Amino acid sequence: MKKTLIILIAILAVGFIGYKMYNKPHTDVQATEVLKSFSAEELFTVFDLGEAQAMAQFADQVIGVNGVVYQKDFGNELEPQIVLEANGDNGYIRCGFKPEEKSKLEKIKEGQSVKVKGLCKGINGSEELDLLADIDVVMSNCIIIE
Amino acid sequence: MNKNKQTRRLTMILVGFAALALFAFTNHGGGVYKTNTGNISFFSHTNVEDISAINHKVKTAFDASSGKIQFSVLVKDFEFAKALMQEHFNENYMESTKFPKATFNGMIENVEAIDFSTNGNYTATVMGELTIKGVTKEVSTTSTFKVNNGTVNGMTKFILNPEDYNIEIPKVVSNKISREIEITVDADYTHSH
Repeated sequence: MKKTLIILIAILAVGFIGYKMYNKPHTDVQATEVLKSFSAEELFTVFDLGEAQAMAQFADQVIGVNGVVYQKDFGNELEPQIVLEANGDNGYIRCGFKPEEKSKLEKIKEGQSVKVKGLCKGINGSEELDLLADIDVVMSNCIIIE
Repeated sequence: MNKNKQTRRLTMILVGFAALALFAFTNHGGGVYKTNTGNISFFSHTNVEDISAINHKVKTAFDASSGKIQFSVLVKDFEFAKALMQEHFNENYMESTKFPKATFNGMIENVEAIDFSTNGNYTATVMGELTIKGVTKEVSTTSTFKVNNGTVNGMTKFILNPEDYNIEIPKVVSNKISREIEITVDADYTHSH
């Protein structure tokens, strides 16, 4: 009897853990401490000079970045974005936000300095694809810190 | 010939070339159309489970004169409803730390049939090389280009077989992930130069 009860509890516990794992939430950027903070130029350089190592270290991690807003890009209503200056006219940091953050972004002006926190996703663009030669380090689920 | 005359002649030749180049660009509604906020989504259907994910930061551009069209997309930036699925997609199937980007390099085959200066819906065949997880394959899709006051919406749907790109699906989950993944591309291009 006792044995059956233990087995039953064990099965329930495994099931519960499995269920919890299956439904585990996405990273809460707000509640997660940044792994590292960068200036926009530094972050761009880290990825531009060593993508493989930068991916291993920072991809899908919450990082902080501060820089000057080059452009607000509201071209996709599902993910409003801001672009930070990082390397002249061919290197930027592209930060994506949840649509509910858009009202905060509307108050930001181009040329203004901001500090952003978000999930680092990698470096997009390619020198092999000549039409896409301007390169972005991409961040998602961002929030404005200051 | 004195130096002044020579300079004037050179200037005239240069101006002539510049005017010709300008004419060549403007006359055909040509130039490059671009966006950094395109959408690519995929959808997998089986009787057990439907799985979908979307990326809103697709970098893509096309040249309206030559028809060249390119895409670059970060694999890690596909968002799933369930965090665990996203994790498995990146770590087990796509190895996205090792292969961070998927790219497409191709041509709008009948680009001359699209009048970028006149609003309307145009159908075109886009053909080219799709690279996923380091594997490059030729793909061809029928796409719509919707011209609206100088902006262009490009849209297409096509089917991918994960095995073609060395994406192995373990037997345990084979009833949950389809062998036919439907890819939808939807990008609003603006004229860049």
